[in-house]
Amino acid sequence: MSGSFFQTHAVRALAGRTLRWYFDSPSAYVTLLVFYLITGWLFAAPLFLVKAASLRGLADLAPLLLAFLVPALTMGLLADELKSGTFETLATLPLEDWDIVLGKYLGFAALHLVCVGGLLFYVAVLGLCVSPSVGLDWGEMLGTLLGLASTGLAFGAVGIFASSLGRSQVVSFVAAFLVCFVLFLLGKSAALLPGGLGNLVGYLGLDSHVDNLAKGVLDSRDLVYFASLVSAFLYLTVQRLRSRRF
Amino acid sequence: MILAKDLTKRFGGRTAVDRVSFEIPQGQVVGFLGPNGAGKTTTMRLLTAYLPADEGRAELAGIDVSEDPLAVRRRLGYLPEDNPLWEDLELTEALHFAGRLRGLGDGAQRAARVKAVVKSCGLRREVGSKVGELSKGYRQRLGLAAAIIHDPDILILDEPTSGLDPNQVQEVRGLIRELRSRKTVLVSTHILPEATAVCDRVIIIHRGRIAADGRPADLAGDLADKNRLHLELRGPRDEARAALAGLPGAGGVSDGAPGSFVVESPAGVDLREEVFRLAVRRDWPILSLRQERLSLEEVFRALTRES
Repeated sequence: MSGSFFQTHAVRALAGRTLRWYFDSPSAYVTLLVFYLITGWLFAAPLFLVKAASLRGLADLAPLLLAFLVPALTMGLLADELKSGTFETLATLPLEDWDIVLGKYLGFAALHLVCVGGLLFYVAVLGLCVSPSVGLDWGEMLGTLLGLASTGLAFGAVGIFASSLGRSQVVSFVAAFLVCFVLFLLGKSAALLPGGLGNLVGYLGLDSHVDNLAKGVLDSRDLVYFASLVSAFLYLTVQRLRSRRF
Repeated sequence: MILAKDLTKRFGGRTAVDRVSFEIPQGQVVGFLGPNGAGKTTTMRLLTAYLPADEGRAELAGIDVSEDPLAVRRRLGYLPEDNPLWEDLELTEALHFAGRLRGLGDGAQRAARVKAVVKSCGLRREVGSKVGELSKGYRQRLGLAAAIIHDPDILILDEPTSGLDPNQVQEVRGLIRELRSRKTVLVSTHILPEATAVCDRVIIIHRGRIAADGRPADLAGDLADKNRLHLELRGPRDEARAALAGLPGAGGVSDGAPGSFVVESPAGVDLREEVFRLAVRRDWPILSLRQERLSLEEVFRALTRES
């Protein structure tokens, strides 16, 4: 364990390798292109249609976009290693399963955060367009980006778990998309359910948490929600890898 | 040192490895032989703690595999079956990556190790190529190089020469031979000449059980129930035949072509010196003298024949 819980050298090596792996194939570029095209449209549409400088549309619909794009980025993370046999190489190195899962996940997380960070460009454009007298709600802007970043990180954990299910990237993609889509739907359907059940479903769904952040409200409960999702799915991934070695 | 004690692994109702025990002292190169599906890969996976054993235990370098798998793997270089590699990396990148995963310190130390294995595994010509573009022979060398990047004491190689052409096989064997004496090596193969060529000892596994264990020559000796001496000499046929049959310990004598005889004796009785003295006494020049041994191939076939 070399003093710490994780073997940082290996986690860093795996994260760096994962990031490079994305950029060595067209997948990262295509995903980034789709992401910026659609978010660009979500961002520009209210500007021209209702003449409002707001990221509302982005906060509402980008989670659905991420539910589609994130599984595309994560589907190969472990499935590809399982398929090519390199997982056996990794698993017979002096590494814990946690090191492998965390390294891979952090590689994805770095790409995702860079992706969401790129949206700051849109915010900067907004800042230039809006007259100084009106001003921008910076809390709302940055909160929305934080909401998207957190949503993607949670979906990424779902995605790496789906990728540990087997050798097929298609199965991994579909499974991850389904779980992410359900998380998205739960939030939307909470309002239709009565009282306590509605509250519970509302808490489990993404919407209320992304909404809070998008309003510029930094509530620890929302951050705990995202952190729990990430930890739970990373934990399941490690368990899944262990159970593969029956 | 590699120790397996009653290792057993079941998959569902099938016992893939059945109470396998052996001990390999430091510095020995051992061939692990068996037909496809005999349990070679599974045994190796148990030794590397990739799979947990159902029963029994394994030790590498004195460390129990199930108690401290990470410590075991630090001392171990493992080349898995089919030599899986990261295809998109460049050759030296792949070695650096293997080194980084193993925590090979700072850049300079790692670079020195990468340089060393590139040299010792004869990879220099392909530096700059992507792994996915390498020929099968070079892939195998790269897999071996990655397995020894941290200079381990113990090597476990699963079919390192499978799918190679004869020249490439020779090269990989040469590499393994060079590791000999410095490292403890367990190398699986289903190609027999390989075992005779590089191994001090062979362990033959069949249907999950150890069928034989010993030096290739001894195995052949153990299995033969009698010795056969093929002999060609210049002398009167009937007289020679009678004299040979009269040697102490000699069994039947048969003759074929003129001057050719086959003298049988019980296993363990070596008649060569007696034959020589007889020929000298009678002044019958010996043209050839050959003790018949079972080849490893015959041993293997005899042991693993489907009953």
